Amino acid sequence: MTLRQRYWLAAGAAICLLGASGTAIAPLAAQEQIAPSKTLTPGKGSELTTARCVICHDATHITRSRLSRAEWEDNIQVMIKRGMPIAPDEIPVVVEYLATYYSHAAPPAADSAPVAASAPAAAAEDPVQKLLTTNACMACHALDRKLVGPGFREIAQRYQGDNAAPEKLARKIREGGVGAWGAIPMPPHQQLGSADLALIVTWVMRQK
Amino acid sequence: MADKITGLANPEQGTSRRDFMAKVAVAAVTAGTTIPRLASAQTAAKPPADPAGVISNDVVMAGKDAALKMHSERPLTASATAEFLADEITPTNRVFVRNNLFTTEFSEANHVVEIKGLVDKPLKLTVADIKSMFKNTSTVAMIECAGAGRTAFNPVPRGTPWPATGGMSCPKWNGVRLGDVLKAAGIRSDGAHVSFTGADFGALPTIPKVARSVPLWKALEEHSMIVYGMNDGPLPVVHGAPIRVMIPGWAGSASVKWVAGIEVLSAPLKGPYMDSSYRMPRHPVAPGSKMPEDAVSTEGWPIKSMITNPAPNARFKIGKPVLVAGHAWVAEADIERVELSFDEGRSWQNAQLNAKAAKYAWQTFSYAYTPRGPGYMTVLARATDSKGNTQPIVTPWNPLGYYWNGIHRVGFSVES
Repeated sequence: MTLRQRYWLAAGAAICLLGASGTAIAPLAAQEQIAPSKTLTPGKGSELTTARCVICHDATHITRSRLSRAEWEDNIQVMIKRGMPIAPDEIPVVVEYLATYYSHAAPPAADSAPVAASAPAAAAEDPVQKLLTTNACMACHALDRKLVGPGFREIAQRYQGDNAAPEKLARKIREGGVGAWGAIPMPPHQQLGSADLALIVTWVMRQK
Repeated sequence: MADKITGLANPEQGTSRRDFMAKVAVAAVTAGTTIPRLASAQTAAKPPADPAGVISNDVVMAGKDAALKMHSERPLTASATAEFLADEITPTNRVFVRNNLFTTEFSEANHVVEIKGLVDKPLKLTVADIKSMFKNTSTVAMIECAGAGRTAFNPVPRGTPWPATGGMSCPKWNGVRLGDVLKAAGIRSDGAHVSFTGADFGALPTIPKVARSVPLWKALEEHSMIVYGMNDGPLPVVHGAPIRVMIPGWAGSASVKWVAGIEVLSAPLKGPYMDSSYRMPRHPVAPGSKMPEDAVSTEGWPIKSMITNPAPNARFKIGKPVLVAGHAWVAEADIERVELSFDEGRSWQNAQLNAKAAKYAWQTFSYAYTPRGPGYMTVLARATDSKGNTQPIVTPWNPLGYYWNGIHRVGFSVES
């Protein structure tokens, strides 16, 4: 290991300790950041939410957010005062959609150890990362290369522009299959509900 | 753009306004149908086209430095971070952008601002009137979005994802004193607040205008201005040309752009920009909570500082002095001291404070630090104001993510 490499490693380790203290420190090693999607995750209420919100906002205002139900409810009320056109019976549909797909499960307990603890805590809140971890997806799939199964990027590229892909991929994850990428079978993941499947598929399709 | 809307000081009466409304992509909005029909998934996913009279984001960003990063497209928001903001006076092409509605272009010749409300003599002034009737002046002053630094909160509240050190600028403003204009109209004794309304518009006719009010004392303070220029050049369209308000040191929303109405009131303005946006809880609330009912409107920024040099992850040599520099600011006080720590807050040294350019300008600090050993280091900056307020390590969470002023921290490497 060269001296320079050693510094880079030391720098990386130090960065891991930095949290929400207002630091502007960017990681030395390029850390891949997933750009927020420009379309909403498909699900019950996604079309209505898109129709009501994108009149004034690009969808990233929603897709980059992780808010509590209370915050989404509050936000819709503020937007109504700012001229959002929405019928009373549509409000719960939109709130339900946002609270389902763009929430953090529960607010962090407290800022008791804010500087050191908040970075990992924030990372753990990403629902896709949580799904990938708890369902062991990463045991067989990597982002950018073939492991046991194809890389997520490879999958996204193959299905780019295929309107039926989200449904196909969701079924494939849930029911498993063999043949599309080789002879090694993909096991079924029947524990995943349609909301989780939609989250995973949307994320995979964004990896192009 | 042949069909550009110009001179919409009173847009409700202009034919061009009707033309514009006809072109708004959300064409389903007609009298009696305030809610557009739910479009099909495919058309709904596409944002409506920008209406005539609106400057595209591409045009705005072409006038900006590459250091300015766009944070959202609709509405347009963009900022540079601390390492690009070392200048004592922020260059125009690095001044942050925060629109609530569209970036609207108005003709200087036709634009009129009305001074009304609790005044003896209501006025309708053109930009030429403002320039010729009142003493032309300038000041260097802070403008900072209430949500600047929002992404440093955990969890991140809703709103523009300003970086920890993005969303603030300190340019030179050219214009006239707001107080001179108000006094010309004659403020009645029951006048206690002053509201400003922008001429810019949103995607639907039902979307209210941007309007905020400030207490009369702040409007009359000699650094509060009606502005027509920035850094001795023209005021860019995205910053509110031909004229805007500039309320120094206060949450930026008070500095209404494209101002068309100034009204003296007996009480704070009522409206969405006062009663539901730009509000702060009186007491800290649990992360993820709703805004409490008794919240108050944002005013002046609390004590804050940031390190502009070194840039994050810069590399230095043992024994060679490193220039540590940055800015400190606070709305309604003076900077008492800025302290730096090179050991994660165990010990602090006073930085040298330079004279500030004007009352509401940020104050530059500097310190020569000579690293004695190798490794990855950090520097922390902590400012204290003349009222005894010191920056917190972490700013209490609030539902709209306002007033982030936690201690700034920058890492750098020292090599042998």
